Amino acid sequence: MALKGLDIFKLSPKTNCKECGVPTCMAFCMKVAQGALPIEKCPHMGADVIAKLSEATAPPMKTIQVGDFKMGGETVLARHEKTFVSKNLYAVSVSDADADADAKLAEMTKVDYERIGERMFVEMVFVTYAGNKDAYVELAKKAAAVPGRAVILDVNCPETAEAALEAIKDAKPVLNGATEENAEAMNALAVKYGVVLGVKADSLDALYDLTAKIEGLGNKNLVLNASTASIKAAFQFAVEIRRAAVKNTDRTFGYPVIVNAAALAAGDKTMQAALASLFTLKYGSIIVMEGMNYAQALPLYGLRQNIYTDPQKPMKVEPGIYPLNGADENSVCAVTVDFALTYFVVSGEIERSGVPCNLLISDAGGYSVLTAWAAGKLSASSIAKFFNEMDIAGKIKNRTLILPGKVAVLKGEVQDKLPDWNIVVGPTEAVQLVQFLKDYK
Amino acid sequence: MAKFITIGERIHCISPSIREAMATRNPEPILKRAKEQLDAGATYLDVNIGPAENDGEELMKWAVTLLQSEFDNVPLCLDTANKKAIEAGISVYNRSKGKPIVNSADAGDRIENIDLAAANDAIVIALCSAHGIAADNDERMMHCQNMLERGMSLGMEETDLWFDPLFLVVKGMQDKQMEVLEAIKMFSEMGLNTTGGLSNNSNGMPKNIRPIMDSAMIAMAMMQGMTSAIVNPCDQRLMETIKSCDVLKNNVLYADSYLDL
Amino acid sequence: MPFKNKPQTFSAAIKPVELGTGDKAITIGGENVLPLYSFDAPIENAPKVGVEISDTMLETAPARLKEFYAGCETMADMAKKAAELPGVSFICLHFESADPNGADTSADDCVAAAKAVSEAVDLPLVIMGCKNNEKDSELFNKVSDALQGKNILVLAAKEETYKAVGASAGLAFNQKVGAESSVDINLAKQLNVLMTQLGVKQDSIVMNVGNAAAGYGFEYVVSTMERVRLAALGQNDTTLQMPIMTPVAAETWGVKEAIASEADMPEWGDVEERGVDMEVVTATAVLAAGSDAVILRHPESIATVSKLISELM
Repeated sequence: MALKGLDIFKLSPKTNCKECGVPTCMAFCMKVAQGALPIEKCPHMGADVIAKLSEATAPPMKTIQVGDFKMGGETVLARHEKTFVSKNLYAVSVSDADADADAKLAEMTKVDYERIGERMFVEMVFVTYAGNKDAYVELAKKAAAVPGRAVILDVNCPETAEAALEAIKDAKPVLNGATEENAEAMNALAVKYGVVLGVKADSLDALYDLTAKIEGLGNKNLVLNASTASIKAAFQFAVEIRRAAVKNTDRTFGYPVIVNAAALAAGDKTMQAALASLFTLKYGSIIVMEGMNYAQALPLYGLRQNIYTDPQKPMKVEPGIYPLNGADENSVCAVTVDFALTYFVVSGEIERSGVPCNLLISDAGGYSVLTAWAAGKLSASSIAKFFNEMDIAGKIKNRTLILPGKVAVLKGEVQDKLPDWNIVVGPTEAVQLVQFLKDYK
Repeated sequence: MAKFITIGERIHCISPSIREAMATRNPEPILKRAKEQLDAGATYLDVNIGPAENDGEELMKWAVTLLQSEFDNVPLCLDTANKKAIEAGISVYNRSKGKPIVNSADAGDRIENIDLAAANDAIVIALCSAHGIAADNDERMMHCQNMLERGMSLGMEETDLWFDPLFLVVKGMQDKQMEVLEAIKMFSEMGLNTTGGLSNNSNGMPKNIRPIMDSAMIAMAMMQGMTSAIVNPCDQRLMETIKSCDVLKNNVLYADSYLDL
Repeated sequence: MPFKNKPQTFSAAIKPVELGTGDKAITIGGENVLPLYSFDAPIENAPKVGVEISDTMLETAPARLKEFYAGCETMADMAKKAAELPGVSFICLHFESADPNGADTSADDCVAAAKAVSEAVDLPLVIMGCKNNEKDSELFNKVSDALQGKNILVLAAKEETYKAVGASAGLAFNQKVGAESSVDINLAKQLNVLMTQLGVKQDSIVMNVGNAAAGYGFEYVVSTMERVRLAALGQNDTTLQMPIMTPVAAETWGVKEAIASEADMPEWGDVEERGVDMEVVTATAVLAAGSDAVILRHPESIATVSKLISELM
């Protein structure tokens, strides 16, 4: 529960000694309440007061670690306000009732590729308990054996949970199963095995009370489950939990949320893709699906990569030669910058043209063409240097190089630096490339 | 951040035509000045009926009803030393466009206007002075604390007390200007709202200079986090400055036509 | 202490805009909550899904989409089929072939096709051009004239064309006008101001603030829509309180993920499923960011997205 400045002020020394660097105790306390200053800045606060307040002045949403993966720690509701810090994770669900559980586990590792420097794969296995304890423990072992993935044990039965935990304790799975009925037992297990505990309840009010109760038992290593009753309820859970934490600094809800899209739209792959999109934008930290094929993965991972980009830092692609439409050493070359958006738009248009073309991405600091040019990062000498370092002339026999139309002014200088090449000025907008390349051919 | 709030000051009984209109309950001059100010972009209108010791209650009710019915429940700032008149005004006030503002309380004799605002769920302008101008920012902060504690103990939201550091006249108190601006920054960093009678700083200056001085002052005050001011909205330079500062502060989205909006 | 739910409702609201006439007329906008937050306050007009019928799309359509329109010879034939799809609230005619650098179909021929559609179906019509400013202005002018009284939406007027398009479609022929900016929030606002100053009524303006396919700089789309919504509702910026319509299909069916053949990309699997998922994921994301209407192409996408919307209301 957040404290107001005045509540803190009541506990302060009220001496206006200015040792904290703020003119008055009142002003200091207001700043502490806003999270602008730590309470420890005041040398005269009693230890008991600090203990009481440090809780209230902690970050609004906890960062929870599962294996190599980090969730939560968000401080804003919209990415433009600052940035989102922990990308959401995708999980695939299997259960001990699935005849094809082994196949699903094998299938889930098939989506594994790189996009702009980020590895795209399903990070977690969500192992749901359907009633067969021995089969469940075996399945948990198999899930834990999938390399590089974290496991979520989705099980509400303490006895089964303990057996599964014991079997895969080194994997440090999430124990997703604290309900109003079993909270004490499940909490004891989570503490014993040192794992994150997942909390479940039917309503927001009940979830809040249960989370407060488990916090009261001393456990703050939690994740919360969105409702699986309906899509609307799941969305409401995800939004209200995040909003309570970040906007209203209600720390009881300051935990990551699991959304079980597999349960919300069982058997409907397309709907699960839609739900994954919705919850990637709005506040799911773990999104569980029945499976993840390339059709789903390509848009979803692209979306996630976009949403979790730091607005302050442009996304960059690796400099190099990108042969498109089956281009080889005899195909024409086009050069542009390493700003990811530029790369995608330009490569997309070239692909649409169907004309074989070597797209040359030069290091321009991740700026767009005009910005890079203005900053001196796309110039005749930067292009010449790139040609040298990459040994373009040695790798490609064709001697035609298309320059972005927006830097037509560079033509003369580039021609001077690369005298063997025929420098051609391309269109100013990528969308004109299709026509340009077709005409040129 | 919210857009800067301008409180139009031109319905004031110090103006002979307004005083006359109020005395005779003649709507026209009042509506004319209200329209001018709203067209120029004022958010709130200040309604100063003077001390109005005799017929204050009836006069304030008349003025509130007149302005709100004519101008789509325009939010108003009720400005008089007569507390009963303020309460009467609030009793007929429509809140759909914003809470009424009580103008004003201080940390001295007029501190009870905070109680009045609290009892009526109104905003109150809280002058950081008790008896005369505060000597320094320590005194301003002390007054601020006193009034804030009083308001909050009565259940007010802290953001409903709009602290007025009191702008000081440059011709005479030039060396105190930065201190006023620093006070605004302190209030702002505490998350509090601020306001004040801006034009006081340019009192006594030639007419053609005042808009320039007022514009510079408002820009500096907005930089310090000031959230509203009592101004003459018909001062075009001033309003253009405020709109520009609102853009720079990201309070309002920029568009090429931003000055027309 | 129990959970204190604080619904985030705003005193400002998006201005409702009506499209079409009669029983099948639709209203987009009107909400006073953030996108899809129907738990904060009821959203009277659920976001709408429209079907895009382009006059060139069948040339490159994947198998099941082609099959859906099998036997259709004209846009009117296609529109009749599309209008039967559950979840479709309006029809968007996309005259890509009008491009002077392409087939250069004349504006008159496009208008004739639009007229035939308006006689064949009673759903509201949205008209998209070919992105050539001059040709689009001519097309929008003629189609607005020919379909007077049908309350159509022309998508859209841009910075370069707003005077002509606003004056004809918006003022002379009393149709609804789209204001198109490409992921430029200041221009989005400025266009609304300019159109209003021209005399187009606020409830006759719909925004298209731009789009991209998921993965293709889509963060700019999200942030533009979210900022427009926060300014409209949170700051009560009346110049941004117009509903947003986003043509999704036109972006998503052109990206590699949706068109690369299975021969080229064997591990990616069925090309049509990829196209559908790209359309669905992008559409869902623009709805969550602030769109009041989306334009989709594939019947399977339309089924999923319209179902999702109704689940969320």
